[in-house]
Amino acid sequence: MARKDRSDAPSTPRVVAATRQQASRRGFLGGAAATGVVAWSNLTIFSRTADAAGKMRVLCWPGYEEKPVVEEFEQKNNCKVEFKTYIGGEQMLQFYAQSPKGTFDAIISDAEYVQKLTAQKAIDPLDPKDYPNLADYHPKYRDFAPLRAPGGKIWAVGTRFSFYGLSYNTKYMSEEEAKTWSSLFLPKYKGKVALFDWYLPNMSNASLAVSPNNQTPYDIPDAQLAKVKEWLFKLRPQVSVFSEQNQGLVNALINEDAWVTPTGDMEITLIGAGHKNFASTVPDEGSIRWTEAAALCADSRNKELALKWIEYMSGARVQSELVYTKGFKARAPNMKVTKYWNEEQTKLMSYVPDPKNPGKMLVETLIDKSVPRGLPVQQPDKAWIAIYNEFKTSKG
Amino acid sequence: MVVAALGRADADTAEVRDRLNPLKLASIGLPLLYSAAFFVAPLGFLILLGFWRVEDYQVVPALSLENYLDIAANMFAQSTYALAIAQSLWVALTTAFFAVLVCYPLVLAIVYVAPANRQRLFLVLAVAPFWSSYVLRLFSWQILLAKKGIINSALIWIGLDGLQVELIYTQTATRIGLIHYLAPILIVVLYVTVANIDRSLIQAARDLGCTQGQAFRRVILPMSRTGIVVAASFAAIVSFGDVLSGALLGGGAGTSILGSVPLFSNMIMTEYASSTNLPRTSALAMILVLLMVAILAAGAALAERGKIEAG
Repeated sequence: MARKDRSDAPSTPRVVAATRQQASRRGFLGGAAATGVVAWSNLTIFSRTADAAGKMRVLCWPGYEEKPVVEEFEQKNNCKVEFKTYIGGEQMLQFYAQSPKGTFDAIISDAEYVQKLTAQKAIDPLDPKDYPNLADYHPKYRDFAPLRAPGGKIWAVGTRFSFYGLSYNTKYMSEEEAKTWSSLFLPKYKGKVALFDWYLPNMSNASLAVSPNNQTPYDIPDAQLAKVKEWLFKLRPQVSVFSEQNQGLVNALINEDAWVTPTGDMEITLIGAGHKNFASTVPDEGSIRWTEAAALCADSRNKELALKWIEYMSGARVQSELVYTKGFKARAPNMKVTKYWNEEQTKLMSYVPDPKNPGKMLVETLIDKSVPRGLPVQQPDKAWIAIYNEFKTSKG
Repeated sequence: MVVAALGRADADTAEVRDRLNPLKLASIGLPLLYSAAFFVAPLGFLILLGFWRVEDYQVVPALSLENYLDIAANMFAQSTYALAIAQSLWVALTTAFFAVLVCYPLVLAIVYVAPANRQRLFLVLAVAPFWSSYVLRLFSWQILLAKKGIINSALIWIGLDGLQVELIYTQTATRIGLIHYLAPILIVVLYVTVANIDRSLIQAARDLGCTQGQAFRRVILPMSRTGIVVAASFAAIVSFGDVLSGALLGGGAGTSILGSVPLFSNMIMTEYASSTNLPRTSALAMILVLLMVAILAAGAALAERGKIEAG
C-alpha cells in the first residue's frame, strides 16, 4: 500500500523557493516565507551535522526503524542508522524533493513511485549480481518489472509486499463468496463493508472487478473509468465505515460492525489476537498488491554503507522481522523467511502449501492472482480523487 | 489663563506618561504579540499557501487561483464539497445545541442545588474527563456503541434483545464523542456565567411572587444568555473543525438526516493524505476557517444582543 493502514507519522510540509523568482516584492515575500518553512522543517527532520562516517539516513515507511529490524545491521557495521518515516508515496517524494541534496543515503519506496524517483534522478541503479539473496526471492520479485533499470540493472531491491484482497468474518462470509468482488453487493452485506479510506486501492480493485485480471488496472481509458465509478456507486450502500487507520478497520471487524473489508492482511492481525473467525483471500478477478523496495540515493554521502544496508534488507532473517512487526504485518519476497518463523507464524503468513495448487505455496497463489499497484495513467490523479469523493458523498 | 494653560500641559504630560507606562504597554502588547504569532501569522500563511502551486512535488510560491477555481468547480458536482459542508454545519450546530442542553442543567445543579461548600468539588468532578485523552475517550465510545458493544450486550443481558441500538458509524455517535470532549469546557464557561448571577435578583423575583420556574425564565435564563451563546459558539466551532470523532465514531461518512456523507474536515484530511497537495488543502481549509469566522460572528452578535436585553 502506498498509504498503508498504519499509525500516523507527523507530516511536515517543506518548501523550496522557486529559483526563477524575480526580484519583486511578491517574489521576495514568497521566497522569504518559503525559506522560513524550509528552516523550520529542517529542525523537524534531524540535524544536518549527522554526516560522520558510520552514520546513514533512510527515508522510509514505518517499521524499518524497529529494533529487531535494524539492530543487527548497526552492530555488525558499528554504525548508526537514522530514519525519517513517511506515510504515503506522495509524502515521500515531497520529503525527498524538499530536502537538501545528500540528506538521505537510502530510500524505501513503493514500487510504483520508483519511476518518479528515477525521473528526478534521485536514485542510482543497482547491479543485481551484488545481491545474492535475490536467488531466494519469489520469481516475480527476482525480476520485478516496476524495478527494472536499463542494462540489466535494477532500481531497487524488494523488501516487503502484501495484498488488498478481501478480509472477512467467516461467520458471515463463505470462502465461496469471497472468490468474487460481486459478493459485496449481496443484500446481507448492506452496511457491513469497511473500506480503507484511500482512493487508489479501492478504485483499482473496482477496476479489476469490472475488468477481471487486467494487468494494468490503472491504465484505463475514460470509458473504463466510468464503469469503475458505476461499480463504486453501486457499492456505496454496502459501506458503513471509511477508516484511514488499520485500527479502525480491525475494531469494526472485531465488533462485527463490518463483516468484510477489501484491505487484505487483516486476518493476520485478528487471528494473531485470538479472533480465529477471520480469513482473507484475493478474489478470482484479482486484487492489488503493494510492494516496497530499497533504493540507493544518487546523492548519498555514504554509498558504501547504504549499499550494505540494502543488501542487508534483502536477507531472509531481517525480512522475517520486517513483515512481522508489532503494528503491521506484510509478506516477504525472500521465500527463506520461513526458516525464522515457527509453524504458527508460517501458516498465518500463508507460506504453506496451497492444497488447490500443488507445488505452490498459498502466498505464491495470491501473488499470481494479484497485480502490482500503480498510479493513474490516462487521467490525472485528481480526477480519480474527485470520483472517489463523489462516491463517498453519494447514496449509491 | 497661563495657569490654565500650564494645568492643561501638565494634564497632557501625565496622559502621555500614562500612555507610555511600560506595564500598560506590556499588557496591551503581549496579547497583541501572542495574537500576531499564533493567529494572524499562521492564518496569513494559510491564506498565502492557498494561492501557491505544487510543481515536481515541491510547493512553489505563486499567485494562482487554480486551487480555488478547482474547488469551486467541485462544490456542487463530482467531489460535492457542498454536501460535506452541509453535513459539517448540521453536525456542528446540533452538537452545540445538545452540548448546551446537557451542560447547562448540570451547571444550574452545581450552582443552585449543591451545597455551597461542595460546589468546587462537583465542578472538578464535572471537568475531570478533560484530563483524559480525547482519542482514548473516542475508542472507549467505540467499545460502548459497537453493535456487540457494552450497551447492546447489557441490553441483551437484561432481556431486552429486541432493543438494540445502532449508533456506531452514525453522526449521532460523532456528536456523542464531541459532546464528551466539549462538556468540561462548556461547563466551566457556563459556570462562570451562572455563578456570577446576582442572587439578590433571584431573591427579589421570588419575593415579588415568582415561582421557581418563573424566576428561572425571567431572571436566570436571560442573565445566562451571554454564557450560553458563547458556549454554543465555542462548541459549534470546535465541532465544525474536528476530525477525530467523525473518523472514529462516525466511521468517516456517518449517517444523519442528510445521508451517509463525510464531514468536510474529514474530506480535507482524506484529500491531503491522498494527494499531499498542501496548497489545495490550504484552500479547502480556508473555506473551513471562513465558516468558523461566520459562526463566531453570529455568536458574538447574539451574545451582544443578549447583553443589551439583559441590561
